[in-house]
Amino acid sequence: MEASIKDGFDHRRFLTGLARGLAGALLFALPMFLTMEMWDLGFYIDRSRLFLLLLVNIPLLVLLARRIGFERTTTLREAIRDASIAYFLGMISSGLILWAIGVLRWDQSPGEIVGTIAIQSVPASIGALLGRSQLGGPEVGDEEREDDSGRDDGGVETSYAGELFMMAVGALFLCLNVAPTEEMILLSFKMTPWHAIAVILASIALMHGFVYALSFMGGHDLEAGTPGWHALVRFTLPGYLVALAISLYCLWTFHRLDDVATTQAMVTVVVLSLPGAIGAAAARLIL
Amino acid sequence: MTKSSVSGHTESRDPHVLEWLTGMVSAACVLAMIGWIGVQAIRQRDDAPDLSVRVVRQEARSGGYQVEFEVSNAASATASQVLVRGELLDGDAVVETVETTLDYVPMQSKATGGVIFRHDPAGRTVRIGAVGYTDP
Repeated sequence: MEASIKDGFDHRRFLTGLARGLAGALLFALPMFLTMEMWDLGFYIDRSRLFLLLLVNIPLLVLLARRIGFERTTTLREAIRDASIAYFLGMISSGLILWAIGVLRWDQSPGEIVGTIAIQSVPASIGALLGRSQLGGPEVGDEEREDDSGRDDGGVETSYAGELFMMAVGALFLCLNVAPTEEMILLSFKMTPWHAIAVILASIALMHGFVYALSFMGGHDLEAGTPGWHALVRFTLPGYLVALAISLYCLWTFHRLDDVATTQAMVTVVVLSLPGAIGAAAARLIL
Repeated sequence: MTKSSVSGHTESRDPHVLEWLTGMVSAACVLAMIGWIGVQAIRQRDDAPDLSVRVVRQEARSGGYQVEFEVSNAASATASQVLVRGELLDGDAVVETVETTLDYVPMQSKATGGVIFRHDPAGRTVRIGAVGYTDP
């Protein structure tokens, strides 16, 4: 142990962080690695939409790394470093797994191979970052972890924008899982508008219930004397709107809304927002 | 703002006005969406797909003569497994028949595809139409 610490750098700790990142990428992105539509999307996805998705992922990872990095992140530079490592781990794990299960072959054109790895690396890189936070045990030094959002009497304050951002990450994660599948559009074709309205109300109720009503660990409480509907308007409804926006973006990226009429597109967005809303609520509890 | 501590998270009692504003805008957007879908729910009838096919482009490609088409569905019911048949007519005689299947033509939406003829359509008539579908 002592031999691995040179110039104040703990190699073992760093390697553990990398291993946790890889484990996180596998844990969170394996469902996507094993989804047929995700392989095909690598071939046919519009390259400008893929490019945009890859670009959007960069600030997302940096912001996420600022909250939960491989190492104790205090500066923007460190956050950028952690985000880069996560993106790289996402690419490596996508490439290895897809090659191991026979989806990627040597005789494919470079465009296909790069496209397939690139699209999978987005959820895998988010998984790599989450792996650090969710798989990591308590470590010496974590108690002194400085959070730039400030502390008082042992509590961390999360800004309102921070809360919405974490909801967006949670929604994006679950949306990416299911948006490429055909089931999402098939469901929207089977559903009547009445079903859609029921799903909207159910999503909002589930979201609110996840965070406030059920006493999960990490659940939120209101300060004494605050009426219950305050949280609904201030957190749950904006959160649901975030889930809707994320699901719209995912469906557009995966060509599920091309040439589709407004109402039909809206119903598809509502269907995808159900997992999105649950992801957003779960992110508030977990992250 | 939300305070996190070992015992959980607590929403602060005196939020910034921006939080309320965001909440109001969100509520309005969600209600507008429910309203829009609600109007569609009231106006919808028990409909069957209404498919029409239009030729978009035809040109010679390495595999033959490619005719691209667009299927529109004017009804408020989605058709799946839409079978599109293309026929090449020389006068009344059918020279060649080709078929392709579109996965979905959603309600009030369009879907595109193509059929490939081996014979040159120049000077002949191309007839393309949907000949069958299933309900999703």
